Amino acid sequence: MALALLQAAELPRLTQPTITAVAVVYFGAVAVIGAWATRRTRTASDFFVAGEGIGLLALTLAAMSATLSGFAFIGGPGLVYTIGLGAMFLLLPASITNSMGAWVLAKRMRLLGEIRGLITVPDAIGVRYKSPLAQALSGIGILIAAIGYMGSQMLALGFVIDAIFGIGLGAGIWLGMGITLAYSVAGGIIAGIYTDVFQGILMAVSSVLVFLFTLRVGGGMDGISRTIMSVDAEFLGPWGKLTPIAALSFFFVFGLGSLGQPHVVHKFYMLRNPRHLKWYPLLVTLALLVSMLLYFGVGVAVKALVVEGRLAPLAAADNATPTFLLQFTPVLLAAIVFSGVAAAIMSTVNSFMNIGAAVVTHDLPTALGRPLRNELFWGRISTVVLSVAAALIAQYSGQLIAFLGIFGWGLFASTLVPALAIGLNWQGATRAGAVASISVGLGLTLVFGTLVDFLKLRSFPAGVTVSGLSLVASVLVFSWCPGSPRAGGGRHHSPMFAW
Amino acid sequence: MPFTADADMVKRAALSAIFLATLAVATAYTAAFLPGGAPAWANWLLAMGIAVALPATMVLGAERNGRIGKLAIPFAFVFLVIAGGFGLALALPASEGPGASLWFGLPVRAAIILYGIGLLPVLIVPVAYALTFDEMTLSEDDLERVRRAALALREQPKPEAPELVAAGGDR
Repeated sequence: MALALLQAAELPRLTQPTITAVAVVYFGAVAVIGAWATRRTRTASDFFVAGEGIGLLALTLAAMSATLSGFAFIGGPGLVYTIGLGAMFLLLPASITNSMGAWVLAKRMRLLGEIRGLITVPDAIGVRYKSPLAQALSGIGILIAAIGYMGSQMLALGFVIDAIFGIGLGAGIWLGMGITLAYSVAGGIIAGIYTDVFQGILMAVSSVLVFLFTLRVGGGMDGISRTIMSVDAEFLGPWGKLTPIAALSFFFVFGLGSLGQPHVVHKFYMLRNPRHLKWYPLLVTLALLVSMLLYFGVGVAVKALVVEGRLAPLAAADNATPTFLLQFTPVLLAAIVFSGVAAAIMSTVNSFMNIGAAVVTHDLPTALGRPLRNELFWGRISTVVLSVAAALIAQYSGQLIAFLGIFGWGLFASTLVPALAIGLNWQGATRAGAVASISVGLGLTLVFGTLVDFLKLRSFPAGVTVSGLSLVASVLVFSWCPGSPRAGGGRHHSPMFAW
Repeated sequence: MPFTADADMVKRAALSAIFLATLAVATAYTAAFLPGGAPAWANWLLAMGIAVALPATMVLGAERNGRIGKLAIPFAFVFLVIAGGFGLALALPASEGPGASLWFGLPVRAAIILYGIGLLPVLIVPVAYALTFDEMTLSEDDLERVRRAALALREQPKPEAPELVAAGGDR
């Protein structure tokens, strides 16, 4: 699941020599990987799908890194600190979703990529339905959400870099964007994948170490729970401070919606040997669980420390991780985690740069019947243009950035889950159903998102989200379209379903 | 070989389950708009909708030759864990508080959610995927057939050649 949610507030100052030095070393390592990858990037296939040449470990760590953003390290623990166990409903589906994605999408997309030479998610939709319109619509949905995500992540990166180097938010945004762009534009997804491997290991190791510190500081899980329950029983209730329907709604959207996250799904094309998928769900699920220990551990430990009076109540929930790290862990570990936060954000941004550029360079021209001749060159150009646009949005759009960051997940889910995940597995699905479900997902998310989340002209009851409603509507529309299963479809036998 | 009637049946059952589960989620959302907020049954409807939708989606993806074989066990397990876990969390009385008994450091209902739904499937579902991979997902023979078909496709002038029919073999 992509926890590419928001870090939209200033962090405490982290400008200490050790933290700054570790960050410099980290950025240096990323630069070296980027330079190495640049020499290996010679074709559009290298740029967008790593030449279908990555191994299982790289796929696992890249998928994990793309899934986790800075939210898993900063915003997430803050959310646990604020709403208790309810915040875990964003993560809980991970125990199932990677296996579900493997059964539903991994093999089909990997084989389709090999047979048809596909390099993007909209490619798969276009080929499946023989529909340039469906390919274009899904591409537009991905592009809008990708730019929004990139903007929100660049803002988060700006906050982190500013906190580490003390250079100001604006400079932080552009420095972070510049570093990510440098390796993304030169080395394409190969650079992305191998920096993800490095970054993924960094995230996993930091998460485990910090979790062990939270247990030690809080007196074990028993001690933490008893401290919290002495004053706030609801915090450790099954839904935390959410209503049951709100918590369950998170589970639904982050569960089923995981099948429509293109920055993760797209990576299936890149695996060298499709038989290596065998152990992919187990490895990526374990990697995600390990990397998310910090999310839970810091959230509950900081709550317990505040209850005990060992910490003052936080001025902002997002300060939970920095405060804990600076006060209760060795500075070197804090430094590694802060670099890990930057790593998590950069790997997510890189993934979105790549899929956004692929839409501009490949999907839209293909759908219009005018494929570009030099996709590698134009892929690099469009990566730069999209990144600059996203950085400008991050710096100047104010409240719009929060809106863009929130609706991305839902937009991906509602536009892609029915047409891609169900459609690749059901030959009765039709072109009309795909176009209708993508349009409904796109339209509802944009309209309701604007009215409810951005302009605040309407509000939904607790638990009902724009993402959830749009996903439900698009699945139902897809199911009811003529020729689809509910309408007695399945008579058309496409050869695509022979495997 | 194209789909058989049996294959259609398993797929249709999975699709119908996904559709009904989504309808249940939609009904729960609609109920949340009622004056006074979501009634208790809406929580149950949403919980059961989720418990059906996720394993049904897995069935849709895993079906092969009209069957899911031994995978029926992990899929049933997923349903039971989600339905049972959310059901218990909704049904059990609140017992969190200063003197509450703890399971592995968490109050009972929280432990059911975190350890039951968040961890238990990790021990079963991805392992089941790996153990049935050759039989139910992609064997060496399957891959060879697909690659031969891809080769044939590249050598044919028309893009809509029946490449994947040949690739399917046993389907």
